[in-house]
Amino acid sequence: MSASEPPKEPVKYVEKQVHLPYCYVAGDYKARYLAALKDKTILGSKCSRTGKVFVPPIVASPESFAPCDELVPVADRGIVTTFCIVNIPVIGRAIELPYVAASVALDGADISIYALVQECAPEAVRMGMRVEAVWKPDGERQGSHEDIVHFRPTGEPDAPLASFMHRL
Amino acid sequence: MTEPLEQRVVTEFPYKHSTGEVIGRFLAGLKDQKRIWGQRVAGQGVVVPPVGYSETDGSAGGEWVEVKPTGVVTAVARVYRPIAQLHPCAEPFAFVLVKLDGADTALAHVVRDDLERLRVGTRVEAVWAPDADRTGSIRDIACFRVIT
Repeated sequence: MSASEPPKEPVKYVEKQVHLPYCYVAGDYKARYLAALKDKTILGSKCSRTGKVFVPPIVASPESFAPCDELVPVADRGIVTTFCIVNIPVIGRAIELPYVAASVALDGADISIYALVQECAPEAVRMGMRVEAVWKPDGERQGSHEDIVHFRPTGEPDAPLASFMHRL
Repeated sequence: MTEPLEQRVVTEFPYKHSTGEVIGRFLAGLKDQKRIWGQRVAGQGVVVPPVGYSETDGSAGGEWVEVKPTGVVTAVARVYRPIAQLHPCAEPFAFVLVKLDGADTALAHVVRDDLERLRVGTRVEAVWAPDADRTGSIRDIACFRVIT
């Protein structure tokens, strides 16, 4: 006998894997920036009008719209301008919890970069804290962001707020 | 000038969509009965696949009505160069809308063969996935094929 309606018990879910294969091309400035990391050098670009230094380097200032036509090295150390303590695991990220995600204004740069702060207790991190990059050993650096393993406190005195509040 | 520096990255989103009662039973029909069901809905006739309400006046979907696995193509979009893991077939195929016999709305699906003969008005029939491969998905109908 043929049923007069579909099964009472519905299918509850359908699964679908969305697959997005990307090919990112670094472009000239970013390629040179990444290559320089291999030599433990962090490059920024300098605005031809205001002199502000952007890290990673960009070709034009979003503030003045003028070209940033000069690549300049900045220090591999700087100031924690702001930070958060991460307590929630993210799939695909193996860092032990809790960890500190910080914005670090490198000496010589006018904007901050995103950085991982380690080698100290998360609750010891503070705005104005001086930190330095910990690099992968010579021969292991690939010219990628992973060449900087993390940042760690230098032990220098904290920077006053006025010295970094315009480069958060 | 050196080669452009590039990085290949694959992002994947594993979605699990909740089907709900109406689509859930429609899919169960495909999987367990190899039958295609629609719902009679105010102002729209027999709607396949059913959504459970009338798009005309918002009233709830009515009785279940079985439709035939055969029908007529109402729209065709050929894909000559399928993209791996985006499109449902690796070989050239066509997306189609099929108005099944007994239905008043068209169902979106694919046709794999006889693409040169396929056009609006072509008669097609459902090709079922093997028993072991039917999971309760619209792809329990493997594809539609041109009726010769």
